[in-house]
Amino acid sequence: MITQLRLEFLKLVRSRSFLLSFIALTIFVGLMLWGFYSYVEKKAGEGATAQFKYTYESKSYFNGLTFALYSVMFSFSLLIPIFVSMVAGAQIAGERNAGTLRMICVRPVSRVSLLLAKFTVVAFYIFLLMAFFIGLNLLVGLVFVGWGDLQIYPGALNLVDEPGKLLRDEALWRFVYATLTGTWSLLVIASIAMLFSVLCENPSIATVSTLALYLAFHIVGRVEFFEQLRPWLFTTDMDFWRDVFKPDMPVQSFLHYGSLCGAYTFGTLLTATAIFDRKDITR
Amino acid sequence: MWARIILTLFCLLMIGSAIHFAPSRPRSLFASRANDGPHLKLMTWNIGYAELEDDSRAHTKDLQTVAETVLRNDPDAVALQELTGPEQLRILLGYLHGKYRGAVAPPGSSDRVEAVLVKDRDARFENLAVGEKYCVATAFHLRPQSQELVLASAHADAFSSVRRRVYTGEVVDWARARERAAIVFIGGDFNFELDSKDESHFYSDNVKHDSEAYSYLLKYFRDLGRDAGYTAVNDRRIDYVFGPTETVSVRRVEVLRGAGTEQMDHWPLLVEVAL
Repeated sequence: MITQLRLEFLKLVRSRSFLLSFIALTIFVGLMLWGFYSYVEKKAGEGATAQFKYTYESKSYFNGLTFALYSVMFSFSLLIPIFVSMVAGAQIAGERNAGTLRMICVRPVSRVSLLLAKFTVVAFYIFLLMAFFIGLNLLVGLVFVGWGDLQIYPGALNLVDEPGKLLRDEALWRFVYATLTGTWSLLVIASIAMLFSVLCENPSIATVSTLALYLAFHIVGRVEFFEQLRPWLFTTDMDFWRDVFKPDMPVQSFLHYGSLCGAYTFGTLLTATAIFDRKDITR
Repeated sequence: MWARIILTLFCLLMIGSAIHFAPSRPRSLFASRANDGPHLKLMTWNIGYAELEDDSRAHTKDLQTVAETVLRNDPDAVALQELTGPEQLRILLGYLHGKYRGAVAPPGSSDRVEAVLVKDRDARFENLAVGEKYCVATAFHLRPQSQELVLASAHADAFSSVRRRVYTGEVVDWARARERAAIVFIGGDFNFELDSKDESHFYSDNVKHDSEAYSYLLKYFRDLGRDAGYTAVNDRRIDYVFGPTETVSVRRVEVLRGAGTEQMDHWPLLVEVAL
């Protein structure tokens, strides 16, 4: 199994999509930094401190931690899922497309082991991606914006119902937790992409199918007249990862939605293994 | 085979865990007290029409319906918004069969006014100048010798988040000054757009101003109606009753959906607290 994992990891690292995802996220951070600077310059000029009269008398709302929070929040819903779908969707369908799947399957390794090894590598990739992205945001925030406490207001990001504040060290820990919860949450997309990868002949179709499903649910979940459907969409449960940034973490709902994500992941993976094990591999 | 069994077990474990940790009821921030003091029932209601109507202020023909809702729910004091003036208040008090006293705020620069109704015969009324607008408040007692209570009726600008923020700041500063001698409640339509569905904004001006105004209110007061849900059409929660952070316990909060007439775009928010 270890050899299998090592081989799959090497394959992943050598793939273009691996490097591309890290480069794209780096460019995104640069773009966010530019946007953040221009926004702060425009909105938080001389009048900014006067405007904060009615809140916490905060003169340091815009700091590196705020920057990192916004950057991570914005990218998590729409940017990172693309890379996760791309990498996970290519796992089986990519081998099939390249004509190597049959060769791999004739080796004395069970198909289930092969699929699980690939999924484990994808999970590790997601963790690396999240850790890199959050770490980069914090580093850029520290160097270019400067650190302070993390202040969160109602309305912005729909994160809290009442104003809250996380002291700097505590906020940094919350970013560490977010690496783990974000990874756990994205595993749902990875498992769906793996399932499509098993079902589809072409990695592009697997990726697009996963993204289409994810985006459809994501959009439906935000349209008012589909409110009754929201509890049944996996995208709703995936949002649990953000709870770590709430000053008072709602532990019960955090565990509830985290468990639902786990159920989706393992359930989908189980389906994928069952189909893959019985699939007639013709090329 | 073993891998599939393990995956099945993990899946079942997660489902079991999700069921076990299912939040049975929404988390409430309101503390419960063992001792139940006298109960105070407050209502706030913007009785105006939706912007689509020719005249979005309250219509005199609806006042009987408003009075019936008030009488049916029997609040100790009511904050009303968007009346056309003292004449409508006089008619409304008539429909209330002398059970309530009331006052309207001076019109200021606006074409609509706030009003308060109160059961207490000895209640006092006062006006608060907020920029070019006015708020009206009533100071009353539930029982003789009991602590004085104050209810202010507020209506923040519907179209400018900057004006809403400044207005809220002025009302809060006034209420804080009154808090030294009385238990103060603020009821009204603040028009805050806090529940933004679009998460991609970068703390936009409107959200920022409303968020700051709401934050300032929560710094000194508690949002008593927070768990009651939306109070106006299009699922907007823009009517609030704010009260002291410590000295009262919430006993009942309800948005009386279905009250009023079809053209009205708000429902009354009823809050009952134990003092």
